[in-house]
Amino acid sequence: MTTTPEPTTVLPETAAQLVELERLTQALAESEERARSHWDQYLRAVADLENVRRRAARDVEAANRYGLERFVDELLPVRDSLELAVQNAGTADARSLAQGQEATLQLLSKALEKLGVTVIDPLGEPFDPARHEAMMMQASATAEPNSVLQVVQPGYELNGRLLRPARVIVARAPG
Amino acid sequence: MAKVIGIDLGTTNSCVAIMEGGKPRVIENSEGDRTTPSIVAFTKDNEVIVGQPAKRQAVTNPQNTLFAIKRLIGRKFDDEVVQRDIKMVPYKIVRADNGDAWVEVQGKKMAPPEISARVLMKMKKTAED
Repeated sequence: MTTTPEPTTVLPETAAQLVELERLTQALAESEERARSHWDQYLRAVADLENVRRRAARDVEAANRYGLERFVDELLPVRDSLELAVQNAGTADARSLAQGQEATLQLLSKALEKLGVTVIDPLGEPFDPARHEAMMMQASATAEPNSVLQVVQPGYELNGRLLRPARVIVARAPG
Repeated sequence: MAKVIGIDLGTTNSCVAIMEGGKPRVIENSEGDRTTPSIVAFTKDNEVIVGQPAKRQAVTNPQNTLFAIKRLIGRKFDDEVVQRDIKMVPYKIVRADNGDAWVEVQGKKMAPPEISARVLMKMKKTAED
C-alpha cells in the first residue's frame, strides 16, 4: 500500500478551517478576558459589601453608646437631687422632704420626656391591647364594658414605640 | 432581587430571619421584639390580633384567644394529647367532620393550620416591612 504524498497546496476547506480557528481563538481570548474582569468586579463588590456591613455594625454600636451617653446626661441631675435628699434626710422635716421628692420626680419626668418617652395613662379609655395589658377583669355598674377601670401601672412609649404597656384592670358588665 | 426568609413557627413563640450576604439575620417585629408570641385572638369587632397584643388582651377574651395551636396540627380529636389539652385551654377544641381536632371561635370552626397561617402572615409581613 502506497502512501499518498502530503499535498503542497492548502485545500480550500482547510483554509476555511484555519480562518475559523483563528476567529474562535480570538473569541475565546476575548471571553476569557471578560470573565476575568467580571470576576474582578465581583470580588470587589463582595469586599465592598463586607465593608459596608462592618461599618453599619460599627455605626449601630456607636449610636447605642452615644444614645446612652445622652440618656445618662439627662439622668445625672436626678441622681444629684436624690443624693442631696439623702444627705438632708436626717435633719429636714417630712414636708420639705416630700417637696424635694416631688421636685426630683418632676426632674425625672422632664428628662424622660426630653428623651422621647411618653406616659400611657388610659383611665376610662377603651381597652386597647396594642398599648395596654389586661391584668384582670372586674364587674362595674358605672364604667363602660371593656374600658379601663383602673390603671395598676402606667405604660411608656419611646418615640411612638411601646416600651411597656400600661397594666390595667378592664371593666366588665355586671352580672 | 427576591429575598430568602426563614420562619420558625414555634408552639409558644415564632421568629423570622432573612438571608443577607450568605448569613441569616433575625428581624425585629413592629413592636421591636425578635420573637413574636404564636397567639391569635378574634375580637368582638371581628378583628384578628396576632402576637404580643393578642397576649395582652387574653384575660379579657379567653375563649377567643388561641395559643399553642401547633400542638393540634395533624392530630385527631380523640388523641390522648388533644383530650388532655381540652381540659387545660380556655378556648374550644372541637371534632371536625373527618375526626381531626379543630378549634371553634365565635361559632366558627377552624382548622389549626388556618390559625397558624395568621402567625405566619404576621411573620412574613415583619420581614417585608
